[in-house]
Amino acid sequence: MALLEVENLSIGYHSQKGYLHAVEDISFSLEAGKSFGFVGESGCGKTTLGIALMRLLPPNGVIGEGRILFEGKDLLKKSDEEMRGIRWKKIAMIFQAAMNALNPVHRVEDQIVEAILAHDLMHSKEEAMKQVEDLFVLVGIPKDRMRDYPHQYSGGMKQRAIIAMAMACRPTLMIADEPTTALDVIVQDQILGEIKSLQEKYKISIIFISHDISIVSDVCDNIGVMYAGQLVEYGDKVEVFSSPAHPYTKALLSSYPTVTGEKYKLEPIAGEPPNLINPPSGCRFCHRCPSAGVSCKTESPVWFELTPTHRAFCSYIR
Amino acid sequence: MVENNNKPILQLKDISKTYSSKTSFLGGCGKEIVALNHISLKIFKGEIFGLVGESGSGKTTAGRLIVKLEKPAAGKIFLNGNEITGLTGKVLKDFRLKVQMIFQDPYQSLNPQLSIYDTVSEPLHIHNIENVQARKYLVIQALKSAGLTPPDDFLHRYPHQLSGGQRQRVAIARAMILKPKFVIADEPTSMLDASISAHIFNILLEMREKLGTTFLFISHSLAAARYLCDRIAVIYRGNLVEIGPGDAVIQKPKHPYTQALLDALPKFGHWDEVRRYDTLLKAERDTYQDEGCPFFDRCKVAHKEKCSRERPHLTAAGDSHSVACFYA
Repeated sequence: MALLEVENLSIGYHSQKGYLHAVEDISFSLEAGKSFGFVGESGCGKTTLGIALMRLLPPNGVIGEGRILFEGKDLLKKSDEEMRGIRWKKIAMIFQAAMNALNPVHRVEDQIVEAILAHDLMHSKEEAMKQVEDLFVLVGIPKDRMRDYPHQYSGGMKQRAIIAMAMACRPTLMIADEPTTALDVIVQDQILGEIKSLQEKYKISIIFISHDISIVSDVCDNIGVMYAGQLVEYGDKVEVFSSPAHPYTKALLSSYPTVTGEKYKLEPIAGEPPNLINPPSGCRFCHRCPSAGVSCKTESPVWFELTPTHRAFCSYIR
Repeated sequence: MVENNNKPILQLKDISKTYSSKTSFLGGCGKEIVALNHISLKIFKGEIFGLVGESGSGKTTAGRLIVKLEKPAAGKIFLNGNEITGLTGKVLKDFRLKVQMIFQDPYQSLNPQLSIYDTVSEPLHIHNIENVQARKYLVIQALKSAGLTPPDDFLHRYPHQLSGGQRQRVAIARAMILKPKFVIADEPTSMLDASISAHIFNILLEMREKLGTTFLFISHSLAAARYLCDRIAVIYRGNLVEIGPGDAVIQKPKHPYTQALLDALPKFGHWDEVRRYDTLLKAERDTYQDEGCPFFDRCKVAHKEKCSRERPHLTAAGDSHSVACFYA
C-alpha cells in the first residue's frame, strides 16, 4: 500500500472576485521511501497542494472534493485535534522561504527545543537539547553555532536549521516547498545533498515542490507537472523529462537554458495562464498550445497512458 | 573576436570597493569588507558581457559602481575613453542618458503611485526630450519592443495590476526609452518563471540586435549567462577569477571555482551520472586576507604552500581566455 494516496483532490479559495479553483482533480500516489516532485510555474497551485496535505490552508481556503489517504486513513476526516498529532510528527513541511521564519530574537537552539517540547516528544529540556545537538550534526551545522541567533547564520545555515527542525520528530513524510530557492548554487547543492542523504538514512518519503525542473529531476523519482491547477503529466522522471508528451511539459523544457549540450534558442511560451476564477472549458492550456485542435477548446482532455508509469492529460497524443 | 575591431565602450581600471561593516553600538569599530578587489575589465561595443558569481561576490556592487550609485574606493572607470569616476552636475546628467540600469526586483523598482505611462516617460521628462505627443509615441514604441502588447492597454495601468514578468518588461521599457548605449541588467530574471525569463532574454537579445546596445548582464545563473553572453567573467569574493568567451568558460572552465559552480548544478538530462554533493571544501575564512589566492581554502586542487602565500593574477590561457590560478 502506498504511504500517501491522493484521490481527485480539488482545492479553492473564496476571494472578492469569486471562487478561485486553485487545484482541480489531482490524484497521485507516493510509496514509502520514495520522492515525488511537483513542478510548474507560479500560480499553478503547487504550494496550495502542499499546504492542503498538511491541512493548513488559510481561512478562505476550501478543500472541495477528494481524499488524502495517509497510511490508509483519510486526513480530511480527521478532527483538528487528531491532525495536530500528525503534523510535524508524521508529516513535516519545509515552507517556502522558511529560512526567514526563524524568530530573530531567540537563539536557534531554543527555538528548536521549544518546538520539540511543544510536541511532547521529550519531557525534559536536557533531553531535547541533546536531540537538537544530534539534529545539528545530522544537517551539518557545527555544534558551537547552536547558541547563535538567526542573524548570525548565513542563508544556507538557516535553511539547514529549518530542515533540522522538520526532522526533529523523524517524520515519515516531508513536504519541501522550494527549499533551495534564493540560495546560491553551491549551497543549493549541499542542501539537496543533505535532503537526499536524510531520505536514504531514515527512509522518509518526500514531496518536493519547485519551479525548477533541474532540481526536481535531481531529487525525485516521480514527477507531476502542474498547469493552471491541474496535473497535466505524471510519471517516472526519466520518462517524463526525456520523452515529454504533454505540449506544456515540452514548452516548459524548451524555455530552460542549460549549461550542457548544444546551445539552442529558448522558446518562451506565448500568452498567459488562464484566470482560475472562471477557468475556460476544455483544455486549460489550449489557447497557448501550438498543437491544439478544434475540440480542445470545448472538450475536457482525457488521460492518455503512454506506459504504465507515464501518463499525460491531453487528447491529442497518439 | 569582438576585441580586435573595437575600442572598449566601458573600461574598469583597477577598481576596488570596500565597505565597513556596522560599528557596534558600544563603540567598537567595524570590519573592512572588501567587495571588489582590483578589478580590471573591458567591455566592447555591442556585446553582452556576463558577470557571474554567488551572492556577496561583489557582482551587484560592480554594476552599481558603473551607474554611479556608489563611489569606488580606488581605480577609474571609463566610458568611451572618458573618465566617469568624478562626474557631477550637467555632465553627470548627460552620462545618465547613455547608461541605464535594469534592477533585480520588479516589485521594488517601480513606483506604485506612477502609472505605466508616467513610469516609462519619466526619463523623457527628466532629460526634457520631445513634446507630449512625441513622448507618447516613444512610450508606445518602447512598450511594444519590450513585449507589452497591445501597448495602449498598459498605458494607464499601475504596477500592482501587472504580473512580475510584465513589471520587469515595464522596467526594461523605462531603461531603453532613452536608447542608452550601455545597459546594466542586474539579475533581471531571478524572480521570474522560466518561460517568462526566456521571453525577457529574447527581448534583450532583440534590443542588442536592433539598437546595438551593449549589456552588462549580472547573474548567478551560469545557464542564463551561457545563453545570453558573448563573454563571461566569474567573480569570487570580489576577485575576477576567470574571464573568456561564453562557450569556453562554460564548456571548458579553467578555474577550479568555475568548475565547482558547474559541478554544483543539477545535471538535467544526464540520468546515469552519479551526483557529487561536495564540490567545494567547506572551510571558510571569515576575515579577508590580502595574502594568497582568495579561493585557496575551499579549493580542492590548491597547492597549500604556494596558494596560501602567493596571489595568482589573471593571465592569458588560450584564445582571449584568462584565468587567475597557478594550476589552470
